[in-house]
Amino acid sequence: MVGTIVFSKRDKLFFLSLLPLSISLLAVLVVSVTTIALRSLDAFQHFGLALFASSIWNPEREVYGLLAPVIGSLTTSAIALLTALILSIPLAITIAEYLQGALKSVVSSIVELMGGMPTIVYAVWASQYLVPFLKQFAMEPLHSALPFIPLFSCRPVTGFSVFAAGVAIGISIVPYVTTLILEAYQSIPVMYREACYGIGATRYESIKILLSLARPAIIAALVLGFARALGETTIAVTTVGNSMYLSSCLFAPGYTVSALIASQFANAYLYQYAETVLYSSILVVVLIAIALSFYGSTTIVRWRLRVVV
Amino acid sequence: MYSWRKLREKLFTCLIIALSVLAIAPVLHIILTVFANGFAVIAKAGTSFFTDLPPTPLSKEVGGIAPSIAGTLLMTAISLPIAVTLGLFAAILTAEFPSNPLSLAVDAIAKSLASIPTIAVSMIVYTLVVVPMKSFSALAGAVALAVIALPYTYTYFSTALRSVPSVYREAAFAIAMSRWGAVVRVLIPVARKALTTGVLMTVARVMGETAALLFTAGRFRTGVSFSPTAPVDAIPLLIFDYILSPYTVWHQVAWGATALLLLAYLMVFLATKLIVKEVRL
Amino acid sequence: MFAVEMNNVSVYIGDRQILKEVTLRIPYNTVFVIMGPSGSGKTTLLRVVNRLIDLVEGARVEGFVKVLNFDALRSDPYELRKYIGMVFQVPNPFPHLTIYENVAVAAKINGVAKSKRELDEVVKWALEKAMLWDEVKDRLYDYPHQLSGGQRQRLCLARALAMKPRLLLLDEPTANIDPVNARKLEEAIVSLKDEVTVVMVTHSPHQAARVADYVAVLYDGRVVEQGPAQQLFLRPSTEVAQKLLRGEI
Repeated sequence: MVGTIVFSKRDKLFFLSLLPLSISLLAVLVVSVTTIALRSLDAFQHFGLALFASSIWNPEREVYGLLAPVIGSLTTSAIALLTALILSIPLAITIAEYLQGALKSVVSSIVELMGGMPTIVYAVWASQYLVPFLKQFAMEPLHSALPFIPLFSCRPVTGFSVFAAGVAIGISIVPYVTTLILEAYQSIPVMYREACYGIGATRYESIKILLSLARPAIIAALVLGFARALGETTIAVTTVGNSMYLSSCLFAPGYTVSALIASQFANAYLYQYAETVLYSSILVVVLIAIALSFYGSTTIVRWRLRVVV
Repeated sequence: MYSWRKLREKLFTCLIIALSVLAIAPVLHIILTVFANGFAVIAKAGTSFFTDLPPTPLSKEVGGIAPSIAGTLLMTAISLPIAVTLGLFAAILTAEFPSNPLSLAVDAIAKSLASIPTIAVSMIVYTLVVVPMKSFSALAGAVALAVIALPYTYTYFSTALRSVPSVYREAAFAIAMSRWGAVVRVLIPVARKALTTGVLMTVARVMGETAALLFTAGRFRTGVSFSPTAPVDAIPLLIFDYILSPYTVWHQVAWGATALLLLAYLMVFLATKLIVKEVRL
Repeated sequence: MFAVEMNNVSVYIGDRQILKEVTLRIPYNTVFVIMGPSGSGKTTLLRVVNRLIDLVEGARVEGFVKVLNFDALRSDPYELRKYIGMVFQVPNPFPHLTIYENVAVAAKINGVAKSKRELDEVVKWALEKAMLWDEVKDRLYDYPHQLSGGQRQRLCLARALAMKPRLLLLDEPTANIDPVNARKLEEAIVSLKDEVTVVMVTHSPHQAARVADYVAVLYDGRVVEQGPAQQLFLRPSTEVAQKLLRGEI
C-alpha cells in the first residue's frame, strides 16, 4: 500500500517529549523581542519619530535625540565591514588556495582562536594600543593630507572616534566573516575548478572565476558581519569616544547605540523617559540585525542549493 | 605578453598574502601585549591576585580579583546546565526530525537569536528579572548568559548530532531500540567528542561575555559572594569598568584580569583541539 | 613529430600503481581514442597529459611525457594547460555565467579575443563547431541550467574550443548523455581534427569505431595494443583487444 509515511505512536510520543524544551528557543526569542518592543512603546508614543531627528542626551530635562548614536552605529559598522572586506577575502583565499598541511591547520586554528576570543580582550587592546596607533599612522596623516574632505576634516585629539571604533570592530569580525567565506569557497564542487583548468586558466584566473561563482555567498557573509558589528558593545564603548556630538568627520568622538546604552542605562531608572528611549534605540538595532541575519543566512542556503548540489 | 601575465600572477599572490598576514597580525599582537602587561601585574601581586579584593582607586597595591573570579565561576556554573539542556533537546529534535517544519523553524530561530546584540539581552533580563527581584544578582546574570549561550549550544550540538553517520542509527533500530534509547545509547555517545567540544566552546563564550552582565550581575566587588540571589561581580565586568576608569592602579588590575581571562580562554581552546585529535577514526 | 609522446610512464596513487610503463605516440591532427574497461586507468592517463593529476592527493608520476614540445612533467602546469582544452565526463559549465559568458571566458583569459566584436565571433565559431549554435543562438544570455544535459556538454566543448587549443582532451564525454546528443557530439569531434589534435577516452568500442583514427587499448594500467583504428578493429592482434571488441570485458 503506497502512501505517506505515517508516524507510529511511539514516534509521536518521542516528538512530544522533545517539544517543551525545544520550544524554549522560540519562547526566548518571542519574549525578548516583545519585551524590547513593549518597553520602547512609551518613547515612541511620547516623542514619536522626532526621537531620531537630533542628537541630545539630557535626561534631567527629558530631552532626547538619538541621531548621533544611530548614525554612529551604522557608520562604525560600515567601516568594520570595509575592514573585514579588505582582510577576510584574502585570508580566506590564502587558506583555501595557498596553504597546505600543517601550516593550513595552524592558520585555520588561529582564525578559530580569533573568532572565539572574548570581545573585552579586543576592547582592552584596542583602547590602549590600536587607537594611539591609528591616530598616529592613519588619522593624522589623512587629516593633514586631505583636510578638504569632510570625512577627514577634524584633527584627531585623542584618537577615540567613529573611525577607530569601526576599525577595531572590523578586526574583531574578521574571523567570523573569514570562516563564512572559507566554508562557502571550499564547498564549491571540484568539477568547477577542473573546468577552470580545462580552459587553461592560471591559478589567479581560476581564483577569480571561483570567487565570482561564490559572490552571493561572499556578500551574504559581509551582510552577516555587518549585523554582528551593529550589536558590538564592549569594543565600541572603549574606542568610540562616547560623545553625542554628531559630525561628518570620522575622526571625531561619537557614539553608537550600544555604547550609549552601556553608559546611560544604569542611571536611566532615575528619570522618566530615559529607559524607554534607550529601549527604542536598541529596538531599531535589533530589528535591523535580525533582518540582515535572516537575509544573509537564507542567501547562503539558497546559494548552496544552487551551486553545491 | 607572457611575462606580463606571470608578473600579474606574482603581484596578486604577494598582495593576497600580505593582506592575510595583516589580518592575522592583530591577534598575535593582542596575545603578546596582554600577556606582557598582565603577567607583569600578576607577578608583582603574587598569588594574592586570586585571593584579595580589588584595590581602592589611589592604592599602591594591586590587590586581587577574588570577587570577580568567584562570580564568573558561579554564573558559569548556573547558566551552563540551562543552556546545555535546552540546546541539547532542541538539537535532538532537529536531528531526529530533520524535515519537520518545526525543526526548520528552530534552526531559523536560533540564527535570529544569535543576532540579537548582547546588550539587548542585558536590558531584557534587567526588566524581567532584576526589577521584580529588586536587586541585581548572580541569577540574573546567569539567565542573561544562558540566553546568549542558547543559540551556540544548539548550533554546536546540532552539527555534532547531524554528523553521526546514519548507519549507526539504522543499526540501533535494527536491534529494536526505542527512539530515546537510540538517542541516549547511540547518537549521543557516538557524538560525544563533538558535543564536549560544543560545551567547552560555550564555556569560553560565557566566561568572556561582558555586555550581558552590565545590568544584571551587579558589580559587587567588596566581598566574595557565592549566593545566587545577591549581586556579584565577573571578570569581564571588572575589566570593563577598570579599563574605562582614569586610575592607574585599576588599569593594572584590568591588564592582569585580561591576561587571566585570555589564559583561561586559550586553555579551553587547546582542550577542544586535544579532544578532536583523539577522534582519529 | 607527435603531439603527445609517453615513454614508460607509471602513475602511483598512494600505494596503488594505476599506470604501468605506458608508452604511447599520438600524431598531430588525429582523433586518438583510448579504450579499455572500467578501472583500466584511462582517465588517469588523460590527466597526466594536462597535469590535472596534480590535483589528486598522493599521486606520483614516473617516466617521460612530451606534450606539444613541453616536457610535461617538469614544465609549469599552468603554462602547459594554456594549450590544452579538456571536456569532462560530467558536464560542468559555470552555473553563474550565461551561455555566452561560459564560452567567452575561455577566449578572454587566453587572449584569443579582446574586443566585444572579436569575442562575439569566437563565441559563434566555437558554438558552431560544437554543433550547438542553432539551438542557442537566440538565447545566448540564458543560463546553463536551462539547457539539457547533452546541450550542456556541447557547451563545454564550445568552451574548450574557444581557447583555440592545440590539443583537446575528452574524458568519456558522452557517458552521461542521451544517444541523440551523443551522436551530435561525436560528429562535432570528428570535424575538429583539422584544427586540433583530439585525445578521447571511452569505454565503448562502438564509439571508438565511429570516431577514431588511432586507438590504444588500455587494460589494467598497461597499453596492450595501439595502432591505426581500421587495422585494430579489423584484425585485433591481442586477446584483450579481441575480448574488448566482443564486449566480453
